[in-house]
Amino acid sequence: MAETKDKIDPPVTLVEPIDMSRLDSSFRKEIQSMPDGNELNACFACSTCTAACPIANQWTYKPHQLIRMILLGMREEVLSSKEIWECLTCFQCQERCPQNVRVTDILFDCKNLAAEEGKVPDSIKGLAKELIEKGQLYVITADWEREDLDLEPEVPGMSTDEFREILKATRTGKIVGGE
Amino acid sequence: MPTYNLYMGCSVPANYPNYEAATLKVAEALGMELIYMDGVGCCGSPNLRAIDYFGWLVVNARTLAIAEKNGHDIVTPCNGCFGSLKDVLYHLKHDKEDMKKVNDELKKYGLELKGNVRVRHVVEAMYTDIGIEAIKAKVTRPLDGVKIAVHYGCHILRPKDVTEINPENLDDLLRATGATVVEYPLWKQCCGATVLPVNEELAIRLAHDKLKSMKEAGAEFAMVICPACGNQLDLQQFGIKDTYGVEFNLPVLFYPQILALAMGMSEDEVGLEMNRVPADPILSHFVE
Repeated sequence: MAETKDKIDPPVTLVEPIDMSRLDSSFRKEIQSMPDGNELNACFACSTCTAACPIANQWTYKPHQLIRMILLGMREEVLSSKEIWECLTCFQCQERCPQNVRVTDILFDCKNLAAEEGKVPDSIKGLAKELIEKGQLYVITADWEREDLDLEPEVPGMSTDEFREILKATRTGKIVGGE
Repeated sequence: MPTYNLYMGCSVPANYPNYEAATLKVAEALGMELIYMDGVGCCGSPNLRAIDYFGWLVVNARTLAIAEKNGHDIVTPCNGCFGSLKDVLYHLKHDKEDMKKVNDELKKYGLELKGNVRVRHVVEAMYTDIGIEAIKAKVTRPLDGVKIAVHYGCHILRPKDVTEINPENLDDLLRATGATVVEYPLWKQCCGATVLPVNEELAIRLAHDKLKSMKEAGAEFAMVICPACGNQLDLQQFGIKDTYGVEFNLPVLFYPQILALAMGMSEDEVGLEMNRVPADPILSHFVE
């Protein structure tokens, strides 16, 4: 065997080893039991989803890696990632998956699990508060603009009471109440 | 006369009354009766779906159940509302257990969802129920073939098994006004609206890329059918100027505005001055 004085660096593509003791093998089943997780196991990491994603270039975890991380049980990393919240929900990944994995829908499931643990970005918490308090995301402020166009100052039929009542009793209420 | 439940959502009336007014006027001229839905609230948007899946199901199922009761299809001018209502209906039709849970909640409000109602984007209803030929017949001053890029919007195109929309139908609707549909590489790409609350810089980048792609393909105007997309492509041109120093100066119009003008309605009737990037250059393209 030829000897070399230079120490060989590990290849740059090598990822950080996964700490097996921190894996949560039930995470895969948890996602699978959710509304859109049926085909999760069919992922063969071809990374077509990542190729389709318009913002994957600036993510540490690419879409195909997030799916792989779910399969491996990296629950903590996935649910604490910024990536799940930056997902555009544009469904390009899901549309192109050759295995019918509902990638975008699964990221929605992940956000719901994160939300259940109270991990919601402040800006989204702010939107949840708006929904509970005002019953809508956008409130009419310039009714003169509407009147100029012969529209009613308020939207006819719009009623927010029941909407607010429903969300107060579901997780939105918990997220906002836990402020 | 076909009659519809009009689900306006919260964004169009608050941010784009010009879109609302143009939609009502065009529908009336086409013989579509749009009736504002009574007692309905917001759809919650994808943000609600992200944090509270069950709450999102119930609020949208409530809207669907109200529409089902009076027997007409729901039409909406907002891709966000369309996506939420379509997605919830699709899920509940495929998940009997969730349908039961949701109906247990709706019972408190004297409602029940069976799943028979149809959810549609208002421009798709124009395409399907009125038809291109009938629309063309109403065009009294067509556009002169001016190049317009269509931004369809994610939640009307995908997931296709849920939305059931063919993008070519929107192209045909635009062509009916006399315009030329511009093909551009990023036609499928997202406007970036959803990421705006968590990463504004990224949202601006996406709007920038989209507008650049349209402009480079020769578009003189852009067409949208969603208030969130409208916001990102129209108003956000000012954010793009601040961030990138680039001025696209690409006017963005809602489809019913373009059609109303081609039908001979005035710029005031469609609130053209409310479009953020001045859109009046379009007026010089109508052939009297």
